[in-house]
Amino acid sequence: MVDLEKLRNAAKEIVSQDDVKYLIGWRDGTFGFRISPHFMESPEEADKLIFSPLCTNNLATYLTMAEKLPIPRGEEPDRRKVAVMVKGCDSRAVVQQLVEQGTNREEVYIIGCPCEGVVDIKKIEKKFPDVLESVEARWENGQIVLKLPGGEQSFPREEVLAQKCLTCRYPNPVLADTVLWDEVEVLGVEEYEDVKELEGMDSKERWAYWQDKISNCIRCYSCRNVCPMCYCEDCVLERLNPTWMFRSVNVAENTAYQLARAFHLAGRCIECGECERVCPVDIPLMKLNRKLYKEVQEDFQFEPGLDPESKPLQASYRPDDKEDFIL
Amino acid sequence: MDSMILSKEKMKDFVAALGQQKLYAPQKEGETLRFSLLGEEDVPELDFSNTTVPPKDVVFPQTETLYQYELGGTDMKEPEGGEEGAVMGIRPCDARAMSIVDSLFSWDVDDPYYLERRSGNTFIGLACLEPCVNCFCTSLGGAPASTEGLDALMTDLEDKYLVKPLTEKGEKLFQKAADVLEKATEEDVASAEKLHEEAAAKVARNVDTQGIPEKLPELWEADLWKDVSNSCLGCGICTYLCPTCHCFDIQDEVEGFEGRRCRMWDSCMFGEYTLHASGHNPRPSRRERTRNRINHKYSYYVDKFGTIACVGCGRCIDFCPVNIDILNILTQVKEAL
Repeated sequence: MVDLEKLRNAAKEIVSQDDVKYLIGWRDGTFGFRISPHFMESPEEADKLIFSPLCTNNLATYLTMAEKLPIPRGEEPDRRKVAVMVKGCDSRAVVQQLVEQGTNREEVYIIGCPCEGVVDIKKIEKKFPDVLESVEARWENGQIVLKLPGGEQSFPREEVLAQKCLTCRYPNPVLADTVLWDEVEVLGVEEYEDVKELEGMDSKERWAYWQDKISNCIRCYSCRNVCPMCYCEDCVLERLNPTWMFRSVNVAENTAYQLARAFHLAGRCIECGECERVCPVDIPLMKLNRKLYKEVQEDFQFEPGLDPESKPLQASYRPDDKEDFIL
Repeated sequence: MDSMILSKEKMKDFVAALGQQKLYAPQKEGETLRFSLLGEEDVPELDFSNTTVPPKDVVFPQTETLYQYELGGTDMKEPEGGEEGAVMGIRPCDARAMSIVDSLFSWDVDDPYYLERRSGNTFIGLACLEPCVNCFCTSLGGAPASTEGLDALMTDLEDKYLVKPLTEKGEKLFQKAADVLEKATEEDVASAEKLHEEAAAKVARNVDTQGIPEKLPELWEADLWKDVSNSCLGCGICTYLCPTCHCFDIQDEVEGFEGRRCRMWDSCMFGEYTLHASGHNPRPSRRERTRNRINHKYSYYVDKFGTIACVGCGRCIDFCPVNIDILNILTQVKEAL
């Protein structure tokens, strides 16, 4: 059961520790169903913290996003910890970053928030398009309760939850320094229905499907930037010499971009669904990611972001690894 | 020319009556609504709050080839341009944005690419009767039925549109389709005006911009920019979906021996945007970049062209993945002044 008082007290304590730089959590946003990441450096700011079915953002992405500006001569880099609140999926991102050494275990404090699933904001805003006042939400008896201006309304999970949550097998943090409340029941089963649907198409149909979606891409790179696993300091997209991908926005270059992104996430994507959530032109990016997830799972019995001691998929080799895809 | 009535049933005939002309209008592409060139069988999608992508790409395409060349050669081939067309269903905020950006593209040197499309196209607006939750056009001198930057304005009257030509260009276009139009009655005009007033009253969010342009640069070192930029992902949503953002990059793209010099939208939210060849970056972090976005719109543009480069369409608020809200920033600015 979510206990806000416990959460805020824990946050106060953690952020007061000498070895913690700041804490990243969630707070109410500026309107409607939106919430905002909350960066707090002092305990006084803890009262704004929330945890609700609206807390969609995967805050693990901020661990690798902190800008490392040049340090004046004689000064040491600030190696204190960043405390971060994580849901189950978010914790997998932290684990995968640790596996890849994108984040140092000594520099992160993980606050686990077992989670019964977050909403699909697009679904909800379609239902209630004109809500200006900040809405509160909570889980109650397997339902999602929204405190709308006209009164409270309950919805079954299937109606409002994000797709990734309906198939989620890891609602509880897989790694945490502290877990705020009891673990929740695992309700999701992954059947890969949407992926199978695409696999059922012939290659021409599938090509047409993706060309139609990808032609809409405006190359805002929000999918790359929000992704907790996309943290290369020198992204292949920005290379000019050689230019791997042109900046021209057309279906060919957009496809090159989206495929490169998907390939780079094979065996690394932890299914937080952030790319699809932020896409302003509704490209179903998780279908691509999940297809690769499925391949990796079937061929190598591997799921990323579960064990901080594991090796990255691409860096591991077993003599009995499948090779039938090699021409 | 007086106001006319275009029955919704006759929309197909109307499009046909415009003849060979290129017609851009909102079209559904999956869940996304954006302006595209209408095919023969297409009908404009005019029942919407606002499009996801603003119509700026009709006059300022996201990617545009300036000329083509062959490696080793000296000949340049410029694409043919100059075809006339029309853009239908522009919300008044987006039309105002174009008239604001006109000053930039005709500033020190005329930008022929932009200006040719601006003068070659006829811009038909569609009055906004149901402002979205984050609309704040009225705070910036706009209105749901503003006519600035438009050649004609349409108003949805349930089963028909009231069409009001505003310029000679607009009149010319509707004269072409005179056969499918009817004369508007006084009641039609009066009910449209009433709807316009009601819509203006429905705009729920606002900001008082008084004093912001002059004082904003004084907040250069304020903590506010750190707070705002903490959660910023550095993506291009706010700038690419902004109807007034107009920055571009120019690149040479070479495939084999064929080269093209093109320009494409760029975003001040990208680190690469200000990266010097030396490796130095005058805007090294998202703090400087978010600060620049607000300062450019609300201060530098005012200094140079006398108007705020924001029309209050609300897209940057609607689509920001981390709820960076320009109205919230402006409120903080007002408090800090």
